[in-house]
Amino acid sequence: MRGFVVQRVPSVSGRVRNAAYAVSALVAVFVAGLLLAALGLHPLALGGSVLKQSLGSRFGVQDLLLLASPLVMCGLSVSLMLRVGLWNIGADGQFYVGAACAAGVALFGPHGSPLLVQITMGLAAMAGGALWIAVPALARLLLGTSEIIATLLLNFVARLGLDWLVTGPWRDPHGMAAAQTARIPDPLPKLPRDWHLGGLHWGLAVVLGLAALLAAAFRFTRWGFELRICGANRDTAAYAGMNVRRRLFQAMLLGGAIAGLGGMLELSGTVHRLQSGLSNGYGYVGIIVAVLAASSPLGCVFTGLLMALVLNAGLVLQTQGVPSSAALALTGLILLFAAIGERLAHYRIVPTRPVAGAGGVA
Amino acid sequence: MPFLKRRALLAGAAALPFLPRLARAASPLPAVAEKDAVIAFGHIGPVSDGGWSTTHHTGLLAAKKAYPAAKFLEVESIPVSADATRTFRQFVENGANMVFVSSEYGDLLSSVADDAPEVAFLECNGHHVSDNESWYYIQHWKVSYIIGVAAAKMSKSGKMGFVGSFPVPSVFGCANAFLLGARSVRPEATVQVILINSWFDPQAAAQAASALIQNGIDMIYTNLDDGSCLQVAAKAGIKCATWNTDMRAMGPDAYVTSLMLDWTQFYVDQIGARLAGRWAGDGHTLLPVGHGVDRDAWGRTVPPEVAAQADAVRTRIIGGWNPIQGEIRDATGKVRVPKGGSLDDIACYEWNWPVEGVVGLKAV
Repeated sequence: MRGFVVQRVPSVSGRVRNAAYAVSALVAVFVAGLLLAALGLHPLALGGSVLKQSLGSRFGVQDLLLLASPLVMCGLSVSLMLRVGLWNIGADGQFYVGAACAAGVALFGPHGSPLLVQITMGLAAMAGGALWIAVPALARLLLGTSEIIATLLLNFVARLGLDWLVTGPWRDPHGMAAAQTARIPDPLPKLPRDWHLGGLHWGLAVVLGLAALLAAAFRFTRWGFELRICGANRDTAAYAGMNVRRRLFQAMLLGGAIAGLGGMLELSGTVHRLQSGLSNGYGYVGIIVAVLAASSPLGCVFTGLLMALVLNAGLVLQTQGVPSSAALALTGLILLFAAIGERLAHYRIVPTRPVAGAGGVA
Repeated sequence: MPFLKRRALLAGAAALPFLPRLARAASPLPAVAEKDAVIAFGHIGPVSDGGWSTTHHTGLLAAKKAYPAAKFLEVESIPVSADATRTFRQFVENGANMVFVSSEYGDLLSSVADDAPEVAFLECNGHHVSDNESWYYIQHWKVSYIIGVAAAKMSKSGKMGFVGSFPVPSVFGCANAFLLGARSVRPEATVQVILINSWFDPQAAAQAASALIQNGIDMIYTNLDDGSCLQVAAKAGIKCATWNTDMRAMGPDAYVTSLMLDWTQFYVDQIGARLAGRWAGDGHTLLPVGHGVDRDAWGRTVPPEVAAQADAVRTRIIGGWNPIQGEIRDATGKVRVPKGGSLDDIACYEWNWPVEGVVGLKAV
């Protein structure tokens, strides 16, 4: 008699993980279809319009890439810290602070050449993001305070600080709108017109370049190697002579700087004004992006696009008459299944070998 | 410093497109057959909020009934972020001929409108107009004035509170007119304002109401989307006036009245004009008292003589009287409207300074 046992596998290959995601995504879409049918809607037609409006038109693809950019930036920020085994729940706050610093430069700084202005904005945003995470980073490294709580709580501080700026001292003096600054005078330029991606800006190139740069740094540099070892086992890393604290501190500051730069790109490229809703929870979605990508920078580009597609699908579904709460539940469902799939990929079913006289029980 | 001067010029130039243009006849958009028409509605909050978004949803339902062959799209809870731009572009992608949005989205809407010149855009509480974009709102300050008269009569201490969202004109106008109405019958009345940085955040609204009550306030007025303040007031045994819908069921003894909204006629008319090829952009509408905005039937604890006094003011306002009369000082004591002067509708719509007696708001 043959039986089966379920075995846990400590680590899985990228291929198995991707297959698990693909299967769970299909299952999720199937369940979502059943739910839509239960709501009295036509799931196939809805699925068709989601795909058509997200991928089938130039506007759709542009919107997808525009939405994916900040998600990838926040994903990269979280990924970098996951490399050293730390959680950055505060990408949202760093994103806001980065955007605020960039807006400060754009609105009140001197006017130079547009390129110089953009670079100054980017540097200011990175400094702001890094500064914002420096407090939790120092607390973590010197006092052992949980970076999860500290980074999370600073999100609220950042958001409230930004609310104060845009409704108070920085409020658009000529506009009547609720809570925003004036339009920044020199926004990030759009991509060349003959590329037929007219709505997209150069921030997209920065995002892709940064992902490639981080991937190369992780793979080919000693610094990237040390980060990985520090994340895998800090004692081993210290024993091998690495300066663990310094590496952790660097990873955190850089993670904050990347999220801050994401805020600058969103401000300068897409929204053009500092406003309360600038990050619509991008920092939190960034956590999902990083986890789904298993903290691989290039993986973040793909999972960022996937998340943008999922969020966009929620919008399209709403225009087709699905209530917003149901659309939110459906996007949650897809992520839930992805998480389950990722976990299940760690298990395999092994047939037990019949052992003479032992009844085949392993 | 030369660059400062240059920046001031730049800022001035940048602001120009956002000012309402001088009246100029925009040509009407071409007619659309009802069976081909797609009308889109975007809401700032959930249509089940029982307040603001519910009133716009009710307007949509009426329009649906009036134009049964047209197709209607509706999206709720659209954040004021780049998500809004995506949603509005989805409307256009879905073939919308006309888009109504129930809150000010500013550039997030106008950037889509500029790319879709054949689609009509109407922004509630907006400010931007173009050949295919207009805005609409209500003369809420006049109703707030009426409510202020009744509130001051019912308040024991004359210390009243206001719970609002952001320091924006519709909050200034509402709190200011409420106080001016109150002071017309009780010169020592004051209004303490708390802003919660959201139009729909029931928890924060309830906290703000509790804080006001702890400060000794016995009358609250709120223009938030939902009825949380009324619930808190009912529990504390004080009075409350709300916005949007009849909310008396949440606290029948605390309920004074509500600034009632009714968009149905406006929506039906605008859609009708668009279908007939008569709709043109570059304009604005401020619905007057009695036609889209009014006070609700008074609550059961409002004394009949108080109701009668407030209704007498209402009758005068409907008859054309402007209640926002000088002399009006701002919170710093400076005379803003001289004796014999008044604030017209557009000035009230763009009100951005607190009147004397309104505490907790700063001039923009």
